[in-house]
Amino acid sequence: MNRRELVFMDSSSNKFWNIELSGTSHIVTYGRAGTDGQTKTKTFADQAAARKDFDKLIAEKLKKGYVDAGSATAATDGDDSTLPALAFRSIVKQDDVQQNAKTFIGKRVADYDPEKKPAKGDKTVYRFRNDYDDETCIPHLKSFLETDAATEAAGIVVGNWAGDDPGVDPTAVIKLLCEQKDRLPSLRAIYLGDIVSEENEMSWIKQSDVTPLLVAFPDLELLRTRGGEGLKIAKPKHAKLRALICESGGLPVEVVRAVGRSNFPALEHLELWLGTDQYGGDSTVEDLQPILSGKLFPNLKYLGLRNCQFADDIAAVIVNSPLVQRIETLDLSLGVLTDEGGRALLSLPTSGNLKHASLHYNYLSKEVSKSLSKLSIKFDLSKPSHMDDDEEWRFVAVGE
Amino acid sequence: MTITSKQAREHILAGETSAIRVDGSVDLRDTNLKTIACSVTCNDLDLSNTAIETLSSKIKVRSKLTLDGCQNLARLPAGLTCGSLSVRGCTFLDRLPERLTTWFLNASDCPRLSMWPKAASICNGNVRLRNCVEIRTLPDWLGPLGQLDVGGCVNLHAIPEGLQVSGWIDIGGSGVSSLPKSLTNAPLRWRSVPITHVIAFEPEKITSKQVLAEKNAELRRVMIERMGYLRFSEEVGAKELDHDTDAGGKRQLLRIDIADDDEPLVGLACRCPSTQRQYFLRVPPQMKTCHQAAAWMAGFDDPTLYRPVIET
Repeated sequence: MNRRELVFMDSSSNKFWNIELSGTSHIVTYGRAGTDGQTKTKTFADQAAARKDFDKLIAEKLKKGYVDAGSATAATDGDDSTLPALAFRSIVKQDDVQQNAKTFIGKRVADYDPEKKPAKGDKTVYRFRNDYDDETCIPHLKSFLETDAATEAAGIVVGNWAGDDPGVDPTAVIKLLCEQKDRLPSLRAIYLGDIVSEENEMSWIKQSDVTPLLVAFPDLELLRTRGGEGLKIAKPKHAKLRALICESGGLPVEVVRAVGRSNFPALEHLELWLGTDQYGGDSTVEDLQPILSGKLFPNLKYLGLRNCQFADDIAAVIVNSPLVQRIETLDLSLGVLTDEGGRALLSLPTSGNLKHASLHYNYLSKEVSKSLSKLSIKFDLSKPSHMDDDEEWRFVAVGE
Repeated sequence: MTITSKQAREHILAGETSAIRVDGSVDLRDTNLKTIACSVTCNDLDLSNTAIETLSSKIKVRSKLTLDGCQNLARLPAGLTCGSLSVRGCTFLDRLPERLTTWFLNASDCPRLSMWPKAASICNGNVRLRNCVEIRTLPDWLGPLGQLDVGGCVNLHAIPEGLQVSGWIDIGGSGVSSLPKSLTNAPLRWRSVPITHVIAFEPEKITSKQVLAEKNAELRRVMIERMGYLRFSEEVGAKELDHDTDAGGKRQLLRIDIADDDEPLVGLACRCPSTQRQYFLRVPPQMKTCHQAAAWMAGFDDPTLYRPVIET
């Protein structure tokens, strides 16, 4: 193969990277999705050297999380109204937690400005939030719902709904969205809580029951929430939901149990940030048993049990679970994963569908990391440069 | 009929007999419930610290069944199937049901538990059997497991060959003195403290130098316990505070100063008059005499009141 087209999406980017090998040189074209990008040509001494560098660059990109543009993950089944699975990626690296979303479902995110006419053609996803001194979240959302752009919108981002008072939950926003659901006929994705620590710490965010959104939007494919306190999924049922992401510094056990008894037959991406018991994350590995049993979610491809204090316990149990045989990506990143868990992961099944495992932000020794990287599964074993490990005190990535 | 968690609780406590179904958890902890009269289907059921004696086969729990501290519990139904079963501190329970199917089992502190079902499935999850002193074997149908805790299972001497455990095995204070080939590289714990295979199975190789160089206080304690207080105290040159003679022979009160530790290690070295085994029993550091230390262990704060008629 002399040509590869790769794409990448996460909470801050949607980009492409193409490479073409021709004789003794290769041509790389890269840039933001929807643009022509930049082109760079590199020439080598001979064909073999060019081929070697071509293969190396591709391997590097794949390791970073790029996928083939034509693959099932990036494709939309030829139907533009459904989201590519790649669009379900949330935070990839720890540092991304500190930034508001720049993209959502692969589209640029912009704060809604009622003074400007919203862009047509659904190129932008609008964010609605309060400023520290200005309660604009609900008024701006109301204004947006009256525009034609609302009827085209595939995604909505709700940012900080609490102003000066961090104790405010998003009930009013949820109510407004549900009441005005007829104004949002194209809505496929909701991000409820694009809130960074400057606005409100993740563990202080007050959430509420998201069931009304599941009921009001039967075509919803992605529901992403941030904040654990008060989060509920009282009636966990939705025929078309493909991705559920609950980011938190401590996820209440009742949410984990609700997912464990849920009816989400279309779910492909399940991401739970379990957090620590200091911030209300009171689940244990036993509570994950219904999820790991493999009896739910026949279409699941990605399982993320992230930011978790008991990542070692999960590792020991997950390697034997029927579910891990079926999924393509296992994400245990941002948690307290030590050598004990790393050693357990050495017995992950390599003959099943599992291709990727993210262990970004881990407490693994070089020795165990090396053993893992020898498996045929692609591991992200990276650690943030500022991560320190004094062996006695080990924390999850987001615990406040 | 599908009802809420709260309604289910009232329904069961009132002794109603009509079948109920709950999408969620039913919490009946700390109630004086003796029996459940109706069929129940739910996700989680917590019956901890109740007077329940038997559980009927009409109780279907999909995920978590918790019966901790049910001291009257005698029987669980054959064919019991759930995601996790916890019977911690069920002091009367002597067996698990035939054809039990679960991922997680916590049967710690069940001192009478001794009989395994002939056929059952406990696999994928964790098994905790801490202080199950009557457990003598593990069944061959067990596993693969995530973690296995047999700490304090004094009568368990072997782990079956072929058992797979992907996480750790806790053997602290159990009778287990070696591991089967299938677990040669398994991480070990000693009553929750991660330890090496040498500390676990070749304690004669531990040196006092290694002990004193170990920074982790918990691990240091386990190392001393494994190498024996006596050998340790001899190697580090323990100071004798007092000595006398009792039914077992000579006894000594020894003090060992440990760098960085708040208090020195003081213990009574003595022999059991019946078995002649040598013990080193830790006592509070303010103890001055062997007699005072022995009295403290027997529960006497005033040593003059401690006058044993016979010691065996």
